[in-house]
Amino acid sequence: MASRYDRAITVFSPDGHLFQVEYAQEAVKKGSTAVGIRGANIVVLGVEKKSVAKLQDERTVRKICALDDHVCMAFAGLTADARVVINRARVECQSHKLTVEDPVTVEYITRFIATLKQKYTQSNGRRPFGISALIVGFDDDGIPRLYQTDPSGTYHAWKANAIGRSAKTVREFLEKNYTEDAIASDNEAIKLAIKALLEVVQSGGKNIELAVIRRNQALKMFSAKEVELHVTEIEKEKEEAEKKKSKKSV
Amino acid sequence: MAATFFGEVVKAPCRAGTEDEEEEDEGRRETPEDRDVRQQLARKREVRLLRRQTKTSLEVSLLEKYSCSKFIIAIGNNAVAFLSSFVMNSGVWEEVGCAKLWNEWCRTTDTIHLSSTEAFCVFYHLKSNPSVFLCQCSCYVAEDQQYQWLEKVFGSCPRKNMQITILTCRHVTDYKTSESTGSLPSPFLKALKTQNFKDPACCPLLEQPNIVHDLPAAVLSYCQVWKIPAILYLCYTDVMKLDLITVEAFKPILSTRSLKGLVKNIPQSTELLKKLMTTNEIQSNIYT
Repeated sequence: MASRYDRAITVFSPDGHLFQVEYAQEAVKKGSTAVGIRGANIVVLGVEKKSVAKLQDERTVRKICALDDHVCMAFAGLTADARVVINRARVECQSHKLTVEDPVTVEYITRFIATLKQKYTQSNGRRPFGISALIVGFDDDGIPRLYQTDPSGTYHAWKANAIGRSAKTVREFLEKNYTEDAIASDNEAIKLAIKALLEVVQSGGKNIELAVIRRNQALKMFSAKEVELHVTEIEKEKEEAEKKKSKKSV
Repeated sequence: MAATFFGEVVKAPCRAGTEDEEEEDEGRRETPEDRDVRQQLARKREVRLLRRQTKTSLEVSLLEKYSCSKFIIAIGNNAVAFLSSFVMNSGVWEEVGCAKLWNEWCRTTDTIHLSSTEAFCVFYHLKSNPSVFLCQCSCYVAEDQQYQWLEKVFGSCPRKNMQITILTCRHVTDYKTSESTGSLPSPFLKALKTQNFKDPACCPLLEQPNIVHDLPAAVLSYCQVWKIPAILYLCYTDVMKLDLITVEAFKPILSTRSLKGLVKNIPQSTELLKKLMTTNEIQSNIYT
């Protein structure tokens, strides 16, 4: 009987569902995976790069976007919806800086994006935004933050999370492997993000894009070579761990 | 008829039948033109089984021509990719025929010339054991064509001493459960078997009120009626296009009796699967 209650966004079904919002969450699953990790002194965003058509300019297919110097986000879902949300968020960041003379806190801009998304779940004639976002950054107090928003307009702080296709698999990996040791150093946090993505990325390191923000530093996008270096390191560690296991069993 | 809140008029379902009897009378009078059109359409939608090399039709149904002890059918691109990489890679398979059909879901309009990349439903048998058959079906078989497909493949009086295994996928949103779909461990496998299938399934059975649709349902119903042991492995996934994790969800079937002895080199098969994924990626800019 879902068909009677999913035509207009403003209609609840008898059992309390807003079907358009739930369908929007399905649209998010069609986007490639993005993972966010909050380390002790670093925040990492890793995404599965979509393969670009031969004649397409790779720079224009970006899943990780800076909202301000100290905040950036990765999204999964409808590309056009993401562009609209990102533009609004960027304008809001600058407007806030001009009005209050302080850069936005990560929580503020996340709340702004979440409120925007919620408005579209309660307006007649509009559909929700079909994107989930992972927003990372450092506040003035030097504390690293990671937030996740979804099409319903909710937002929560996370230590580590994943969105998009196979997000559940990645989240389960993170639940098992996110330990205080694993995020002790910046390098370890970066490796954890790559390892989480390698669980679901279909063609290995060359399809992974990574961005980090360190305390008091600007956003850094990793080049393909740098990602490859980390992937090779991870593969070496895996081999060594397997050798040790086989030695022990012998 | 009922009016909704927004003023649109919706036809309320009525068990008493249609209210307009005049329309029915007019419909019964069929002109020769109508008959012609109907026959043309029926010919266009006919399911043909033929040998691709010679382009000749098979005179009898496939399983009447060859004796069969095991028949594995893959329906849908993920199931087809699984059999291609794990089963077809582990032995020498010879093509014995293909089913050619057209319906509104087909992307090609040319029903006469079938290129090797477009073959919809291809049948193979194992060279070392010709009673083991495999079907790779990557097209949609419409409701009116399913029975024709069954007849052309199984014949009108099928033998009972064969075992059928069907593999297919379905979107997880079709899975009816009291849990929310967000908490389901997709992709996951469910099985449905006929009464005569005595072996255990390698995964939980499909619970009510879930039902099976399309060609897999047609094959399973046919096998139930003719008392042939058959089992359907249904993978519920949230990625219907070709996807590595969905295909790997079929792996538990490799240990069952249905596929025993047919799979040799699993690591090599996984590599082949990865290659298949990269060559089949379709470009779309809507979702990132």
